[in-house]
Amino acid sequence: MLKILLPTIMLVPTIWAVPAKYLWSTTLSYSLIISLISLTWLKSSAESGWSFLSPYMATDPLSTPLLALTCWLLPLMILASQNHTAPEPISRQRTYITLLTSLQIFLIMAFSATEVIMFYIMFEATLIPTLVIITRWGNQTERLNAGTYFLFYTLAGSLPLLVALLLLQNNTGTLSLLTLQYTPSMQLSSFADKLWWAGCLLAFLVKMPLYGAHLWLPKAHVEAPIAGSMVLAAVLLKLGGYGMMRMMIMLEPLTKELSYPFIIFALWGVIMTGSICLRQTDLKSLIAYSSVSHMGLVAAGILIQTSWGFTGALILMIAHGLTSSALFCLANTNYERTHSRTMILARGLQMVLPLMTAWWFIASLANLALPPLPNLMGELMIITSLFHWSWWTIALTGGGTLITAGYSLYMFLMTQRGPLPAHIISLDPTHSREHLLMALHLLPLILLISKPELIWGWTA
Amino acid sequence: MADYREAPLATRPKTLDPNEYFNLSPEQRRAEEARGAVRANLKRQYQLQLNNPHRKELIEDPALTRWVYARANPYAHFRPTNKTSLLGAMFGVVPLFALYYIFKTDRV
Repeated sequence: MLKILLPTIMLVPTIWAVPAKYLWSTTLSYSLIISLISLTWLKSSAESGWSFLSPYMATDPLSTPLLALTCWLLPLMILASQNHTAPEPISRQRTYITLLTSLQIFLIMAFSATEVIMFYIMFEATLIPTLVIITRWGNQTERLNAGTYFLFYTLAGSLPLLVALLLLQNNTGTLSLLTLQYTPSMQLSSFADKLWWAGCLLAFLVKMPLYGAHLWLPKAHVEAPIAGSMVLAAVLLKLGGYGMMRMMIMLEPLTKELSYPFIIFALWGVIMTGSICLRQTDLKSLIAYSSVSHMGLVAAGILIQTSWGFTGALILMIAHGLTSSALFCLANTNYERTHSRTMILARGLQMVLPLMTAWWFIASLANLALPPLPNLMGELMIITSLFHWSWWTIALTGGGTLITAGYSLYMFLMTQRGPLPAHIISLDPTHSREHLLMALHLLPLILLISKPELIWGWTA
Repeated sequence: MADYREAPLATRPKTLDPNEYFNLSPEQRRAEEARGAVRANLKRQYQLQLNNPHRKELIEDPALTRWVYARANPYAHFRPTNKTSLLGAMFGVVPLFALYYIFKTDRV
């Protein structure tokens, strides 16, 4: 564990010490080496499920895919940010990469925490670098509003979580995940117990986000710079899902009754946010709402507490992380050329940038859950386990799949096909850096087709 | 009237002059010319930008900017009317209760 954490911490002095000419190439190769070493986590061999054990940090088949995704994302973020930070002074560029690295450190510690309070502290700590990235490096004045929404929605949801965790510590004497699964299940029945149940889950539902509390997400995603959007979509939303999956073990038997409203919000949210996507004019906003839609499926899959639901949720989280981040990178290539996120201003790009069209095509197909990509496998497992939970969910999930295909194709056709606007006279050709970025996003996704055991969690 | 063409060397009588068909008053004609001048100026600015070979960015259209802002900020200008309240209830409130009822009765 320290093999990964200490090099990531030492990346911060490296950023400040390296000469300016080598800043980006050094940080890129350093973080790429860290991410390749982090792939060793995937080979876990312990009987009890927990590997790489230390007093405070451990990995198990649930956190390992998320840790690998987090570590994989840092070189991608650095690759994506290189162009838009180029006009800034060097110390500001170093600060930016330092923020990304500190986010990485907090995320690694959050996903590998064995003590739930440490997970909570790291969960909160990730808010601060993200807030700084959104409000300082965003491009429009709305970024202040976006940062406020992001911070206060998440904080309002997570304060009850702190109280709930302290109550749990009082009751059971320990908050270590290693032993909490073996404590006898508490007989939860009173109204206070129901409030405790809600307090445990609310923070993660806001973070996922659940449909009713999702307003922070389109604002934060749209106003953030590309690295902020990538890390938000790919990893920070999954913190919510991971937290929910960890807490579910302790929340029996109330979940059977109390989860109904949240499952309903999640499923109706799939339909509603999918429909909003069809009406969007802002490209990043479309991808943000599509994130809400997919995470609604994940939330429903976790809340029904079946093993297929959990597995489907985990697979969909990993696949969606890679796909959503890839789509944001593609939207950023558009934005860097036209400085506008409006879709109708930059249409017909297949004529101008045909190789980028290939990446748009693969990313859009991944978004609409084309078989045999893991997006489909995750969605299929969630949909079938929801069907087992209640037959009527198929109306919502089936309609959701249809609408997802609709808006993914709409996004592809709007940006790539159609007439090229007459007033576009010069676009930069696609940089090799951008091709590399897209390849590094989509190659793991395609490789996961052949070894899904890596990302399907406990049902090994 | 559109097919009428005068004889080769004759002049068109005043009553058949197309500019006089609608009996516009002089103020209206002046206003028409002023609007035409504004339109021509806008078109000139657009074409200056369109044909400028050194231009690298998109031409900014303030109408498009306003439209995008309006599409992105509906809640700031939201007003509860009969129609919006009905839509909100139909799509935001009733489905939640309907789904709760459906799932509860299905799963007992």
